[in-house]
Amino acid sequence: MNGWIGTTLRVDLGSGTIKREATNMTVAHEYIGARGMGVKIISDEVDPKADALGPDNKLVFAPGPFTGTFAPSGGRYNVITKSPLNGTIAASNSGGVFGPELKFAGYDALIVEGQSATPVYLWIKNDKVEIRDASAVWGMTVADTTEALRADTDHEAKVACIGPPGENLSLISAIMNEMHRAAGRTGVGAVMGSKKLKAIAVVGTGAVRVAEPAAFKAAVMDSCEKIAANPVGGAGLKAYGTNVLVNILNQTGGLPTRNFQEAVFEDADMIGGETLAANQLVRPKGCFSCIISCGRVTKVTNPLYAGIGEGPEYESAWGFGADSGINNLDAILKANFLCNDYGLDTISMGATIACAMELYELGYLTQEDTDGLELVWGNAHAMVELVRKTCVGEGFGKRLAEGSYRLADSVGHPELSMTVKKQEMPAYDPRAIQGIGLNYATSNRGGCHVRGYTIAHEVLGQGPPTDPGAVEGKAGLDVAFQDLTAALDSSGACVFVTFGIGAAELANMLSTLTGFPYSPEEFVKAGARVWNLERLWNLSNGFTTADDTLPKRLLTEPIPSGPAKGQVSRLAEMLPEYYSVRGWDENGVPTPAKLAELSL
Amino acid sequence: MRIKYFATFRELTRENSYQLDDHLPDVASLLEVLSDRYGTAFRDAVFDQGAMSPVMILLVNGRNVRLTGGLATPLAAQDEVSVFPMVAGG
Amino acid sequence: MSKMLMIYPNKCTGCRNCELACSFEKEESFRPGASRIRTLTWEREGFSVPLMCQQCDDAACVTVCPTAAMHYGPEGSNLVELTADLCIGCKLCVIACPFGSVRYDSVTKSISKCDTCAGAPKCVEMCPNGALEFVDDAAQTRAREQAVADKFKTIFEDVR
Repeated sequence: MNGWIGTTLRVDLGSGTIKREATNMTVAHEYIGARGMGVKIISDEVDPKADALGPDNKLVFAPGPFTGTFAPSGGRYNVITKSPLNGTIAASNSGGVFGPELKFAGYDALIVEGQSATPVYLWIKNDKVEIRDASAVWGMTVADTTEALRADTDHEAKVACIGPPGENLSLISAIMNEMHRAAGRTGVGAVMGSKKLKAIAVVGTGAVRVAEPAAFKAAVMDSCEKIAANPVGGAGLKAYGTNVLVNILNQTGGLPTRNFQEAVFEDADMIGGETLAANQLVRPKGCFSCIISCGRVTKVTNPLYAGIGEGPEYESAWGFGADSGINNLDAILKANFLCNDYGLDTISMGATIACAMELYELGYLTQEDTDGLELVWGNAHAMVELVRKTCVGEGFGKRLAEGSYRLADSVGHPELSMTVKKQEMPAYDPRAIQGIGLNYATSNRGGCHVRGYTIAHEVLGQGPPTDPGAVEGKAGLDVAFQDLTAALDSSGACVFVTFGIGAAELANMLSTLTGFPYSPEEFVKAGARVWNLERLWNLSNGFTTADDTLPKRLLTEPIPSGPAKGQVSRLAEMLPEYYSVRGWDENGVPTPAKLAELSL
Repeated sequence: MRIKYFATFRELTRENSYQLDDHLPDVASLLEVLSDRYGTAFRDAVFDQGAMSPVMILLVNGRNVRLTGGLATPLAAQDEVSVFPMVAGG
Repeated sequence: MSKMLMIYPNKCTGCRNCELACSFEKEESFRPGASRIRTLTWEREGFSVPLMCQQCDDAACVTVCPTAAMHYGPEGSNLVELTADLCIGCKLCVIACPFGSVRYDSVTKSISKCDTCAGAPKCVEMCPNGALEFVDDAAQTRAREQAVADKFKTIFEDVR
């Protein structure tokens, strides 16, 4: 078999049974792999009403057909499950090396079922799979867990694990791999913690095969050339990382500041990619088979916040920075290092602190609630301390670990949580950039930018000139981005390859790799299939068109200053057209005709 | 008029920003004046055979000039201009 | 004029495209165990080093080989070559190599070591970061000298 392996591993932590099954190849062809395959498995096997932290939820780790090959930046895997944060079907995407190692070990997917009574870890070496006692590493940080388990398994083992927040079922906890890469969003770490699964250690010595070697290599070299020639994919991301976006968004007037109260940050330049490159950057870093190297190896020498690690990404620098009015980049890095080493979603963590700061400003939280910390805007020391408390589960940190929606709701003001479907929105203000707002509102896992990154057109100059302030054409733009991204997420490729290539190149690489023919249209259609299946599952869990919305602030409070002053999100003008382009009825429900077209 | 530089444009100009007191009518004339000031490397980064470089993002008061006429975009005395290379996503 | 494979660990991002290129070239599939080049990574600090056969002039593997399967290439080739037909799989070369760059592949049951892909090394072709270079020995250190000289130039240019 080519591209795919043909074997799926299923482990039941309750009964201790381990089964190697044949991968359903019809599913593989229709859903490609990774996100798509995981969504199909969860859709078939998990009741939408199941308790996300209960024994009936499942946790799927799935690489894609590209994963483990030299398809450029094609080494990703997904973690798919029912989210305990918001009940959506969540697929969280990560890079590093763990996904490729799963392929070399001989698996298209690992399905973890049930719950263990005591802490365990999985040790997978090719077809040898063991459930082992993890009591010695339960409670350890991510880096310490990784090194301890390597000592007990194999020095070269790739380890995906949770830290104490995941163990304590924090709704914003992440699953980390290779110490610094995260399957970050939607609380997937808590699902792993609820199963008492501390870690998975993998070694693989097998091969990923190719159907048409010469044609595949030619397709890969062509794609590599196009990505290298693109200013973003080629030189830009490697030189500055994603954090260079801070100044771009600020100058556009769409950098959410102080919990989305404003959209320009007076100290943006102090926390942007240029400053990072000058002060804390050690070198760029790339995931397995990556040709872009957007990763940042960074170091802080200031003894207050000293550390070495990776990041911050734009989102993380924003969450701990502009969103909280903080201009201290060393503090931001420290917060990011802590989140990586304990396993927390940096977007949700930062945005939750920002929400806490606004609640404190308005008097809904007091120093008694905050363990004496003054949560005033810009208080970098307090921000880092709050992150630390959340990491170790201490005091006020326990409330922050539930995310901003539950925090704000607990004091009677859920409207001050800048979330969609209870997940914190990322670093683009929908009032300044209409298309991304539509994406936030319609993303199947809640507030998320990567599901449909229209920013590439609306702000970054890719594609035809696109006015961020206009609503015309945004429905079509969002659908196109969402479908292509869903297909791409299912192939194992990194979304950053879209700075250079598109459906044509991806379909060509996929066809020559697997020997199964995909036209560009069929590739995108597979993405639409995944998107609609996610939508159906969410609808079965009680989500409705009423949930496809944005916080009231963004719909009614105009941006007070900057280039986008006076604007609000005009979601209501875009949503009906979005449903129509999607082939859904006016309530956002896929029509029978649409489902038939996608073989759903 | 205030011109702000970001990412690689900071290396090219060795400045973070520049205050221009002359009033220039449009983006084309502004880029000419700046190219004279900073030299060939800057000129090559902003122009591509007489047209605007396709790998530069230029904002006037936060609006991308590709939406307002490109090189022909008019400028007023109090405008703020931001110059970026096309660099990133995320 | 012969060529050498130069490595620049400071440019390595740990992407392992070199291993994939090597495996693909030798077996038309992706199996890191088949690769003659290996990248070692320090995860905490984010540092990676690619390593492969150094084609030694006085090679330990050639010295210990009982069948001369491991031998020097033609005069001026800068290569240590393996004639697979003569190899008995005794693995003395694996033990002898001080760099750990000769390996026994238990999947193919053969000795594997870098042969520079007949002068067109695929690892160099695939590396996206310029961490590997196949360069004439006259120019072997040019990149390093240039990098240092550039720094001196910048320092002295700023001093009037």
